[in-house]
Amino acid sequence: METLSLLAGGFAVAFTPLNLTLLFAGCFFGTLIGALPGLGPVNGIAVLIPLTFAFGFDPASSLILLSAVYFGTMFGGRISSILLNIPGDEPAIMTTLDGYPMARAGRAADALAISGVASFVGATIAVIGLSLFAPLLARAAIHFGPADYFALYILAFATIGGISGIDPRKTLISALLGLMIATIGIDPISGIPRFTGNNYHVYDGIEPIVALVGLFAISEILFLLEKTVKERTKAIHVESWLPSWKAIWMTRWAMLRGSFVGFVAGVLPGAGASLGSVMSYTAEKQKSNRDGTFGKGDPRGVAAPEAGNNSASGGALIPMLSLGVPGSGTTAVMLAMLISLNVQPGPLLFERQPELVWGLVASLYMANVALLILNLPMIGIFTRLMAVPTWALMPIVAAVSFVGVFSISNSTFDLELMVAFGVAGYILRKMDINLVPLVLGLLLGGDMERNLRRAMSISDGDWSILIASPISITLYILTAGFLALSIYLMRRENIREKALSE
Amino acid sequence: MSIRLGGVAIFVIAALYTYYGKDYSAPFGDVLGPAVFPMIVGIPLMVLSGSLIVFPSGEVTWPARNHLLRQLAALAVLVGYALFLVPLGFPIATFALIALLGMVLGGAPVKALILGASMSLGLWVLFDQILGLPLAFLGSLFGDF
Repeated sequence: METLSLLAGGFAVAFTPLNLTLLFAGCFFGTLIGALPGLGPVNGIAVLIPLTFAFGFDPASSLILLSAVYFGTMFGGRISSILLNIPGDEPAIMTTLDGYPMARAGRAADALAISGVASFVGATIAVIGLSLFAPLLARAAIHFGPADYFALYILAFATIGGISGIDPRKTLISALLGLMIATIGIDPISGIPRFTGNNYHVYDGIEPIVALVGLFAISEILFLLEKTVKERTKAIHVESWLPSWKAIWMTRWAMLRGSFVGFVAGVLPGAGASLGSVMSYTAEKQKSNRDGTFGKGDPRGVAAPEAGNNSASGGALIPMLSLGVPGSGTTAVMLAMLISLNVQPGPLLFERQPELVWGLVASLYMANVALLILNLPMIGIFTRLMAVPTWALMPIVAAVSFVGVFSISNSTFDLELMVAFGVAGYILRKMDINLVPLVLGLLLGGDMERNLRRAMSISDGDWSILIASPISITLYILTAGFLALSIYLMRRENIREKALSE
Repeated sequence: MSIRLGGVAIFVIAALYTYYGKDYSAPFGDVLGPAVFPMIVGIPLMVLSGSLIVFPSGEVTWPARNHLLRQLAALAVLVGYALFLVPLGFPIATFALIALLGMVLGGAPVKALILGASMSLGLWVLFDQILGLPLAFLGSLFGDF
């Protein structure tokens, strides 16, 4: 009941003219960002953050705008998957498997409508889950002491890379690099400057947003230039956008199953939307692929991964809001914005700024409805805008990134720093080093150090305080178990590769 | 080989970081002091990057020579923008950025120039006139700043 009244207060926050405008604009641009191949959700949101920041919206409005964009990208990614066989963003890869064959068989309208409704169902179920579980998690986390937070951050770094079969050393290197960058600037506790090289530009520390835009948007341009830009395949021509409602109704169970699997994947650390859609697709295929129709244009193969990826992206907001620890790249970028707006997510956020949390939750419900309205009848407009070629799109993205970063501090030093981060990000990505742990380290580094020092002050220098509470011990055991699992998986992958090459 | 070299670069950065970080001290304040956390970060980073030098994993394929040149050209444009934004002012610098980057990305020169001209003015009107971000129309070179 308490949740309902808080939620009602949230709707009051979201229903102002400014917030409604931002909501619709965010949904529109989000769908577009998602639909344009080459501009994924992380890049798109990273580019938009400095702008929201520059306009000086209050935290609630900024968060509403960016969440609308975030949900929009998840809705939009499927459009190019279905019509071009190119996923608009990473989580939409699974949608190409059955979406494109459906479109080639002349059922593009059905595929688009099914995936749109599935996105709506998945995202709505996730937001309901968020309203129910996030306050519970926040209430549990209120008992965390400084030493427990330190342990929680270590768990977050170990798991953010996910169980991907990628060398876990690289995940840790990335996280440590981020923590390293976080220590640059004046130490807030003792007041002495650290690692500044006497450059007054970095006395306040490295602005995470500058680093983010460089790492993601600029390195993406360098990646694009590696390959000869090919003429994109023509989008499948669609005669009528009217779907068959019966076809949508047939996939209802696939949508619900996909939403459930995706939601669980989203809440888990290090999983996020991509894993959510993979898991939902695999689960649905195991359940329903009796006639071998999956991969050849089965509508359930479109419904399940789309419900899954939207549900996972909603679920990923739970650890970000209630613990302050994001579980995916995109939520890490959103955390960057909140920290820049002086909002520290975590259990206290629910107590101190309930209007912000519940305003966000309410706007997510509304964004879902807005996206469904935008995506069903306006699908033709998005497909037309999708034809913008890469050579024209990326320079505009670069220009908008520059404007956004410049407007934060009005200093060209930040522009140079952003390009430097772009080059560093490109080299790290070439080495298979995922950048998300780095961003997480950069964002959480200050807080992690503060909690460590607070814990040591409490114990007066006795290190055993770090393993003094059952909470922290449990968190360390989880971390060790996770690392052991990912090393085991990497070994197995290596053995399999050797067996294949022999 | 590239992974090893990358490992060396990270190792050197981590070693320098640890070396400079170990001496930070505060006369008063908290128990731990400002030097311990950098050690907790720097030393494991040295160990991990060292292990990457000895036991590298994965391989890097660098782009072919002509692609590398295009990447360098793009970087030159981006750095140039950072350097010339204030002297030239927003519309001129942004025109050059979009047009040159569009050409590097393989757009036809005439189309890229048209895109640059229209987008730079469009973005200026959008951000400066409509949304109220202060962006100088003419740069400090032309005395307007």
